[in-house]
Amino acid sequence: MFKSFTAAALVVAAVSMPAFAQPQVGAAAPDFRAKTASGESVKLSDYRGKTVVLEWTNKGCPFVQKHYKSGNMQNLQQQAEADGVVWLTVNSSAPGKQGYVDGEAANAEMKEYKTSPTAYLLDPKGTIGRGYGATATPHMYVIDKEGVLQYMGAIDDIPTAKIEDVKGAQNYVSGALAALAAGKSPDPAATRSYGCSVKYPG
Amino acid sequence: MDRAMHPIPAFGRLMAAQLLLILTALFALITVGTPAAAAASVQNENMTVSLEAGPAHSGARTIAIVLTPKPGWHTYWKNPGAAGVESRAEWTLPPGATASDLRYPVPDRFVVAGIMNYVFKTERALLVDIDGLPASGEIGLTFDYLVCDDEICVPESANLAANLSDIGVEAGRIGRWQADQPTAHDGDARVEVQGDRLRLSLAVPQISAVSDAYFFPAVDGVVDYSAPQTASIAGDRIVIETATGFNPDADSVPGVVKLMLEGGETLGLAVDAEPGSVEAAGTPLLGGADETDPASGTGAGPATAPAPPLPLIFLAALAGGLLLNIMPCVFPILSLKALSLAKGGVSERAARSEALFYSLGVIGAVLALGGALLALRAGGSTVGWAFQLQDPRIVAALLLLVTAIALNLAGLFELPAIAVGADGLAASGGRSGAFFTGILAAVVATPCTGPFMGAALGAALVLSPLAAMMIFGGLGLGLALPFLVIGFVPALRRRLPRPGAWMERLRRLLSIPMFVTAVALAWVLGQQAGADGLSIGIAAAVLLGLALWWLGGARRKLIPAAASAAVFLTVLAVPTTLSNVGSADAAEGTVLAAAPYSPAALSDLQAAGDPVFLYFTADWCITCKVNERGALSSAAVADHFKSRGIRTLVGDWTRSDPKITAFLTSHGRAGVPLYIYYDREGRETILPQILSADDLLALGSGQDA
Repeated sequence: MFKSFTAAALVVAAVSMPAFAQPQVGAAAPDFRAKTASGESVKLSDYRGKTVVLEWTNKGCPFVQKHYKSGNMQNLQQQAEADGVVWLTVNSSAPGKQGYVDGEAANAEMKEYKTSPTAYLLDPKGTIGRGYGATATPHMYVIDKEGVLQYMGAIDDIPTAKIEDVKGAQNYVSGALAALAAGKSPDPAATRSYGCSVKYPG
Repeated sequence: MDRAMHPIPAFGRLMAAQLLLILTALFALITVGTPAAAAASVQNENMTVSLEAGPAHSGARTIAIVLTPKPGWHTYWKNPGAAGVESRAEWTLPPGATASDLRYPVPDRFVVAGIMNYVFKTERALLVDIDGLPASGEIGLTFDYLVCDDEICVPESANLAANLSDIGVEAGRIGRWQADQPTAHDGDARVEVQGDRLRLSLAVPQISAVSDAYFFPAVDGVVDYSAPQTASIAGDRIVIETATGFNPDADSVPGVVKLMLEGGETLGLAVDAEPGSVEAAGTPLLGGADETDPASGTGAGPATAPAPPLPLIFLAALAGGLLLNIMPCVFPILSLKALSLAKGGVSERAARSEALFYSLGVIGAVLALGGALLALRAGGSTVGWAFQLQDPRIVAALLLLVTAIALNLAGLFELPAIAVGADGLAASGGRSGAFFTGILAAVVATPCTGPFMGAALGAALVLSPLAAMMIFGGLGLGLALPFLVIGFVPALRRRLPRPGAWMERLRRLLSIPMFVTAVALAWVLGQQAGADGLSIGIAAAVLLGLALWWLGGARRKLIPAAASAAVFLTVLAVPTTLSNVGSADAAEGTVLAAAPYSPAALSDLQAAGDPVFLYFTADWCITCKVNERGALSSAAVADHFKSRGIRTLVGDWTRSDPKITAFLTSHGRAGVPLYIYYDREGRETILPQILSADDLLALGSGQDA
């Protein structure tokens, strides 16, 4: 009988909608645990005391390519890490969907683009992505040393996939990092992320 | 090209190789040249973009950018929703001409993996009004856009150029594109932000034809795109509610309200909602005629309840009915009924007629209960499924009935009127017996309504009465189905075990689950009416037992029906005195320190920033009790809640409570249990109806650590 109950509960669960969290700027960033490309397990709270950037990626997405082929993302990352910022690249593409990587493919991707994030996090079930309400790639989050979310949204203010638009765009992430370093609050603190939708399972 | 070809005959002796070279070069020129050479229509890989010009007026001339995505692909509205980008147009115009902003048609919703997109999936035109445009002359457009299917997104670019005289179309064709544009809303539209809810209202003509409404905000950050929207009718206004986005404090909120009308039509109203007070929600709109969303698995479900399609609900009801057959309160009845057919001497016809009459009894009883439920709700009562169990008198009556069945199974007495045992179904006289047994099965099944019915019956209550009755019918059919099949399939009957002395033993054995059901009902009665009520109920059951033993114990089957009816009426009179007995406090047995639910209690805790675990229960709900004896009474869970500062609120629906019924309805439920967790930010998570301690121990760990 309990089996039937469980089956029944599953049917009910299947009917309900997947819930999306909406994190808030000024509130604690949700903690999470994730596996990295090199097979380690990390928690966001491991980095308490440092500023953290979360970057949602999908190699197949033209908007992501815009910032990697132009070298914009790499520059941003190097600059940030030179300033002691932790950079976490997150991939929430589901297996079989655009941009999905396993650990090996993630390492190859980093090698190809010559990037060196603090860690490349594998989120094939989309748990972290949905927890943060990440909708697009690239989708950027900046979390301060106390673990409070300070910026979320687009990487810059020109929502195109054209490489030539990188120049002359206002980069919101470097702006947010500079503001935090100066002890101020980022402005803008939330923008619309632009790009491809995150390729979640389902 | 003519000029290039012309010289060839003149060089008759031109070597074949050279000719080939020229042709290749020409071919290359053509293929490479096409995309570069601007045309009035560009067919890119995933979308075709064309220009059309409306009739020349003295004022502005309308230009249409016609977008035709490949089947399965979509492009974006001005506000693309939670992903995507808006399109960009760069014009090259004759001197003195100026272009307006792009005017977008009314969009559609498209949900991919839970991400809300505002899109166009079929041919649409963006309109631009250009001032100072001559009747003929060149215009140029660079149009950048994003086009996606379910999996990938491709940014494309179209370089268009055309002579105005070449792309001129008649007014009718431009009118067709105009018809896709939203109509300016006439009247006031107001918006109000309350906590994390955005509420918007506007006056709408012909409001009775509106079946659903959805608000597409033109600016970002105003709403949480992925949150469902709830639409209702208050007087002549539509009220739409949803969750706010990251930046809700705009001065005014522009956007498009899309009305879904009866008959599948839609109407888009361009609104610019001003801050103001928004009336309370009225009659909920349920999205019966919502725009279809074929490619979306998750559905852009509007409405309070994400209502699944009717056939699915019917199947769920049918499955729920089937499931009821193995519940302790129904199984003994069904199995004995089935075995009675296995006895020799039951003709084909008799078996069929019994099965039919049993089914009629079941379905009739379920429909009657359902009909009564709908009638009560229509009359303004806030009742839910198993509402009858909220009255201690009915619980007491059921207790007596179940006790009588249990005693009968145990062999204490034989009574033709309620005999469900082997003797009661003597071949020919079985029709009314079968019918009655059916009713009995349906009635005693109600305390056992499981989670299946939660969803199906929840849906039933928000559908049209006809559809709702279909669902109750499905439930009844499911309950009747096993016996119906046995009655109609002789092969199945032959596989039933041969009758013998073991049947009598089985019958005795099956009295045990029936007694258990009686004990459960007695406990419910005790919870509802206190120790006094419980004592009265048990005393009545004992009296009934004595009476039945005295009447039937002598193994006389000739007791007149009138005598047995008299006994019943006497005993049933007892419970009516129960109505005045006070109610006992429910929801004990869990170690969670729970405060009683009220909307105020919930909002107070939330205002204080506490995470809240809220659950709804009822003593007659077996699933609820299983959870309360299990996960909810775990000491580890209590410690966890304490350490995380999670406060617990409990709503007890054992007796009808309109506030709780309203809450359940707003969550698409017609019954209990319902388990909800609100984190510190007030975000709501609905937990499974079968709770595990792990589900509860996970609360408060990730989201707001």
